[in-house]
Amino acid sequence: MNIEKLESILEEDGIVFLTYGGFLTQELIAGMTDALEKESQNAELSMKLANNIFIIFIELSQNMMNYSKTKQEHEDKFDPKGLIMVGKNSEGHYYVMSRNIVDSEDKNKIEPKLQKIKESDIAEIKRLYKEARRSGKDTHHKGGGIGFYEIAKKSSMIEYSFTPINEKKFYFMFRAVL
Amino acid sequence: MENLIIEETKYTPRIVLDANEGIIELKGKSYPENTFEFYKPMMEWLEEYFDGNAPEKIVVNIEIIYFNSSSSKLFFDFFDLLDEAKDEHQIEINWIYDEENDSAEEAGEDFIEDFEDLTINLVSK
Repeated sequence: MNIEKLESILEEDGIVFLTYGGFLTQELIAGMTDALEKESQNAELSMKLANNIFIIFIELSQNMMNYSKTKQEHEDKFDPKGLIMVGKNSEGHYYVMSRNIVDSEDKNKIEPKLQKIKESDIAEIKRLYKEARRSGKDTHHKGGGIGFYEIAKKSSMIEYSFTPINEKKFYFMFRAVL
Repeated sequence: MENLIIEETKYTPRIVLDANEGIIELKGKSYPENTFEFYKPMMEWLEEYFDGNAPEKIVVNIEIIYFNSSSSKLFFDFFDLLDEAKDEHQIEINWIYDEENDSAEEAGEDFIEDFEDLTINLVSK
């Protein structure tokens, strides 16, 4: 974890609603969602914007939680920690950002899907979402799945990167701007 | 058949399945840790209900403030189950949302598009 980088993010971006790095549990996610609800009320956000923030936050944090659960079953030395952050950037847009460690196999599953989302307009994303929901495949357990479509539907922009740690592991950074 | 009532939590809705009255209600938020496990009792109850002595008229009230994508998948399966039962029952579904809650409204519209043969009313409050 690069502390200087984190500090520069905190300084550049006006408001940070919430930031957490560590092991994720369902109770913790529910508690943080509660906190976000209170922050949204204080900031007098519209219900639409607030709910979209909650949905994206829940999706990303449950994604990381589920991913680390499956990984820990198969790997002794898997680092389950994730980083999640909700804030407002200097241009006044809210964002939800996450970062966790994924292995190359999962990178190869996630990356084409995210590429496809970036190339698609909202109508196409909606179509992909409905198709995935109908087929019954691609649920939470399989590399993000329908969740990324859900996030894309509720965002104005997504961005992501995979930064190599070694030959097999990557930092997967994802950011949805509302 | 016994009624099934599951109380609301921070991340799961209150579920009321009233066998005699023919009322199915879901109200709250939905982002369980394991969605399919959480809704299993409800889905099993419904399957048994529609196989047995469910009354002709069924009213379904759904008021979900927000939900995760696996809940969305589960609701799809739930509508699918209602879709299968619709020939033998008169099923009326009310998708209830706060008038300011655009994402809930949109979710309701999505289900209407996917289940053209079901009677789904969008009810804003």
